[in-house]
Amino acid sequence: MMKDFPSIIEAEGLTKVYAMGKVRVMALEDVTLSIPRGSFLGITGPSGSGKSTLLNLIGGLDTPTSGTIRVHGKFLSRMSNEELAHYRRADVGMIFQSFNLISSLTAAENVALPLLFAGVAKRERRQRARDVLNKVGLGSRAEHRPLELSGGEQQRVAIARALVNRPEILLADEPTGNLDSRTSKEIVRFLSDLNKERSITVVLVSHEEGLIREYCHLAIHLQDGALAMKDGMP
Amino acid sequence: MKLIDYIDQSFSNLKRRKLRTALTTFGVVIGIGALVCMIAYGKGIQKNISDSFTQMELFNYISVFTESALSRLGIGGERRIKAQGADSAVFLDDAVLKEIERMRGVEMVFADVRFPAAVRLDENEEFVLIQVLSSELTASPVIKLRSGTPYSSDDENSLVISDSLLTRLGVKDFDSVLGQEISVSTLSFDFSQVDPMDLSSLFQGDRLPFSRDDYRFKIVGIAERMGFGGPALLRSDVFIPPGASEGLKKLPFSNLWDLFQSPGMRRGYSLVNVKLSSPRFVDPVQEEIEKMGFGTFALMDQFEELKRGFLILNGVLAAVGMIAIVVASLGIVNTMVMSILERYAEIGIMKAVGASDKDIKKIFFFEASMIGFLGGVLGLGLGWLVSVLINHVVNAFLAGEGVPFIQFFNFPLWLCLGAVAFAILVSLAAGIYPAVRAARVDPVVALRHD
Repeated sequence: MMKDFPSIIEAEGLTKVYAMGKVRVMALEDVTLSIPRGSFLGITGPSGSGKSTLLNLIGGLDTPTSGTIRVHGKFLSRMSNEELAHYRRADVGMIFQSFNLISSLTAAENVALPLLFAGVAKRERRQRARDVLNKVGLGSRAEHRPLELSGGEQQRVAIARALVNRPEILLADEPTGNLDSRTSKEIVRFLSDLNKERSITVVLVSHEEGLIREYCHLAIHLQDGALAMKDGMP
Repeated sequence: MKLIDYIDQSFSNLKRRKLRTALTTFGVVIGIGALVCMIAYGKGIQKNISDSFTQMELFNYISVFTESALSRLGIGGERRIKAQGADSAVFLDDAVLKEIERMRGVEMVFADVRFPAAVRLDENEEFVLIQVLSSELTASPVIKLRSGTPYSSDDENSLVISDSLLTRLGVKDFDSVLGQEISVSTLSFDFSQVDPMDLSSLFQGDRLPFSRDDYRFKIVGIAERMGFGGPALLRSDVFIPPGASEGLKKLPFSNLWDLFQSPGMRRGYSLVNVKLSSPRFVDPVQEEIEKMGFGTFALMDQFEELKRGFLILNGVLAAVGMIAIVVASLGIVNTMVMSILERYAEIGIMKAVGASDKDIKKIFFFEASMIGFLGGVLGLGLGWLVSVLINHVVNAFLAGEGVPFIQFFNFPLWLCLGAVAFAILVSLAAGIYPAVRAARVDPVVALRHD
């Protein structure tokens, strides 16, 4: 059913090898996949199966040992450090299991952080951060610091931060790992809404297969760094 | 990222760790303070000397010596004349004075005449060498009068006395002695004591063949004591006009050396001062006088050497200050590295949301330079404060010795701006390693949650 959609992310022969001292760890082995624009992809797999590594490679935080990733038709591997930084701030938004908010900054300041590096003026930063916080339902908590917020609220602040630059791709690395099941569901539903309403391509890494089955259009399963199963993939 | 954001960012980061920032900055403050103090002191001394020399027109003077006087004074250098035998010895007499006076650029020639005397004011007596100085010179900038006036003619029985001698004479309110009479006693040969038939009795009796004569002089001016020993031209605390000097019975020499110096016991001056209309005549006139067989000394020559000396002095002082700066910069490196370790995850987050390596580097550079800027400005303030303090303490001490207020420190604009710029520069240099290290933080490692 997704065949008609053009791919936004294309990975080919992705391999990542980490050198842990003298031991070489194969984190990802020859993964080839194509993610259609506007889809909601779930990635499952046990810990250490390479889910996060794949997400980091797509997010431009890490570089593959071999293989290529194309986003919007552009090869990430050919980008300079500077271009990669621009890609991270403009084209993708990332959220993490541990939220990764800066504890000394308020919610609004955290949300405005990507805009800071984009060179947006302070006044506009503040305005846009508030707008996005309103959208995630945290307008009243803008001046609170992360530790004054609940886990679900913190993750929503992180989502607001990921969205503030209006990226087309949202990468979520175990976003529900630190949340109770009710809040987890809320967060994934929120991601699903974003995917539907704004046609943002969402890639969700999770080991909660139930959630993925419920919300995702597509799913892949990783096992020992290799693609074990595709579900509904083109 | 915008410039203002870098400043904002680094400021709030530094504010987060107030104590550590304060301590690190304090290190820079001490370093810059020491450096600034040292350089300001070197500059101050230099300025003091060159300013007062210029102001007193001391660069316009040449001193002329006979060869023997030259060697006695230990003044040498390239201009030192060759040793001459007694036969070819030249004398500084009035004929020579007249000859020098005719040279181009020469304004005035006057011999350095001084004689021993005792001055008494009320109950206090001091022994001094009185210097004969024309009224014209007394009115020139060579003498700095703190009150009163120079004597108006070369013949009046007036004198100018230094404030330090007045202090020694127990005077507290200097102005109160203006117009007052002061007693000057001279020594002269008393020929009535000498038996012309037996000159060997001259120094054998109970009484030396000298007599003491008392004169009254009016104090018209009070000279300021020079902070740096004053010019070589004025080596006395009491100055009287030449006309008045002629009327005094006195010994024809100020010191026994004068007798040794004069070959064949011929009378001549041991030292003559030449005043020029401008420092640019120093070289030609000096050359001409040396051709006549005399030794010369011009402050102008010495000043070049003096400048080299100051350069070395400044260098040594700056080196001492530099040690403090090096220590301070190590403090900056330490603080920044600590900060990176603490903010490891934060750096990872910033990178994940789109900070480039350059952004991270700049954030740390700005933090370092902020420490440098604060340290530089406050250090400058501290240096200035300390210098004011030292100045007051030292001057309070010197005031007791009758020395006028001396500004020991000099803060030229370049030093103030340079100190701050230097502090920033050093901090930036200290920030290189931490900044590079921060930029190298791998976001994947920094954000790993397990």
